[in-house]
Amino acid sequence: METGIRVLLLTALLAGLPGCASVRDWYHQRAERRAASRAQSAPPPPSESAQDENAPPRVIEPEVARRKIKVPRIRSSNVEMGLDYGALSIEDFGTHPVYGITAAYHITEDFFFQGEAGRSRGGRTSFETLGGNVQLLTESERRFTYYDLSLGYNFLPGEAFIGRGIAMTSAFYLLGGIGGTDFAGDTKFTVNFGAGYRVVPADWLALHITVQDRVFQSSLLGTTKLTNNLEARIGTTVFF
Amino acid sequence: MIARLRQVALASLVLLGLLLTPAVGGAREYLQLFVNQPYLELHTGPGRGYPVFHVVPRDASVDVLFRRTDWFKVRTEHGVEGWASQQDMQKTVLADGSPFRFSLGDRAGFTAHRFELGMFAGQYGGATLVSGYGSLSFNSQLALEGALGQFLGKFSNGVSGDVGLTHVIAPEARWSPFLMLGLGLVHVEPKATLVQAANRTESTAYVGGGVRYYLTRRFFLRAEYKSHYVFTKRNQNEEVDEWKLGFAFFF
Repeated sequence: METGIRVLLLTALLAGLPGCASVRDWYHQRAERRAASRAQSAPPPPSESAQDENAPPRVIEPEVARRKIKVPRIRSSNVEMGLDYGALSIEDFGTHPVYGITAAYHITEDFFFQGEAGRSRGGRTSFETLGGNVQLLTESERRFTYYDLSLGYNFLPGEAFIGRGIAMTSAFYLLGGIGGTDFAGDTKFTVNFGAGYRVVPADWLALHITVQDRVFQSSLLGTTKLTNNLEARIGTTVFF
Repeated sequence: MIARLRQVALASLVLLGLLLTPAVGGAREYLQLFVNQPYLELHTGPGRGYPVFHVVPRDASVDVLFRRTDWFKVRTEHGVEGWASQQDMQKTVLADGSPFRFSLGDRAGFTAHRFELGMFAGQYGGATLVSGYGSLSFNSQLALEGALGQFLGKFSNGVSGDVGLTHVIAPEARWSPFLMLGLGLVHVEPKATLVQAANRTESTAYVGGGVRYYLTRRFFLRAEYKSHYVFTKRNQNEEVDEWKLGFAFFF
């Protein structure tokens, strides 16, 4: 009951605060409006009419319309999205193909923020192979799905050349982040780190080679241990 | 299996088609700027280390093709394309002689910006939490925020999502505190070892607060606490504490 009242009071307090934010400038605005109306209603200073009589009469009224320049919006191209394909070595479950999608946002020339999701399959452990009819996991439990949110750092930016005529900007980058892995009927908190190489053949296109390690705790084979799941991929992304 | 493969192939094709659409987009109008310093340096790539390969003399114009992070891809009157830095572009002028102004991504941007994105690691009712959020600011103090998180615990896993308002108390301060209020949903999947092993989705309401700390450029740290009130279908409602720490950027 007491917590209910506390939550209610806090709610009312919080609801009031955003309102205060918009009210903050009202006082100044009103003062400005009052000053403007005062300036409008005031009669013109008398000295002006006296000056006009002495001045030579205007022959031509210049009518120059000031040119208004419309500024086109500059397109930002910081978002990168694409597909990738490679091999994932799942600890104790063999190496299998993996495919995934990535999306990245380039924050500065050095840092980018990346989200990834991918899917692969775990094979048979050596225990299952030797044991004959033993099945540790069902077919659906062997599906390995991961996602992560990572921060990337363009560690060694540079240029790559093909022959004399073609130069492409490139970068070797480091990646690190957190995410989740769904495997063997459970989702595990996963830390990932790795490195990649990006070549940008056109302003809108990039090619990637990435190697990442996905580390999570597993107690599937009796003992609890940290499993390292190494992944190597090639990918294509498009800049938006 | 074959139907599945076909589905995957089709989805990939559609995605690829969507991805390639902007690349083949039609002609557009570019912003024309005039060089107002002795010369404007053009680099071969969008980074401080790329060499300068061309200079545009004073009073010549350039078309701004697009912007990537703090670099602008420009084209000269003679069709030479290169990258100009943000600092150099600040010294160019528009056709009417007025200076070219754009968002710099500095401390002033931290005080007033439109969008925020960020990621967090933390605790949700004792379980490990991975979370991301996005924010749309109405003014420097009031923002609409949405957060998605996955919590992975010993006894249950789950996903939580919420939408709410955030009030930044002192947006201009480097350490700037804020308060939050909103509604959400939580989906809990108890692990099989528990007696009450039914998946459930419940609505929530939260109240919370936190602090953001400006790091540099477009980055800031953000730490927050949310007290969730879970409206269960059982006799008693639940309270869940969420703590998280992460980094975010604005644009």
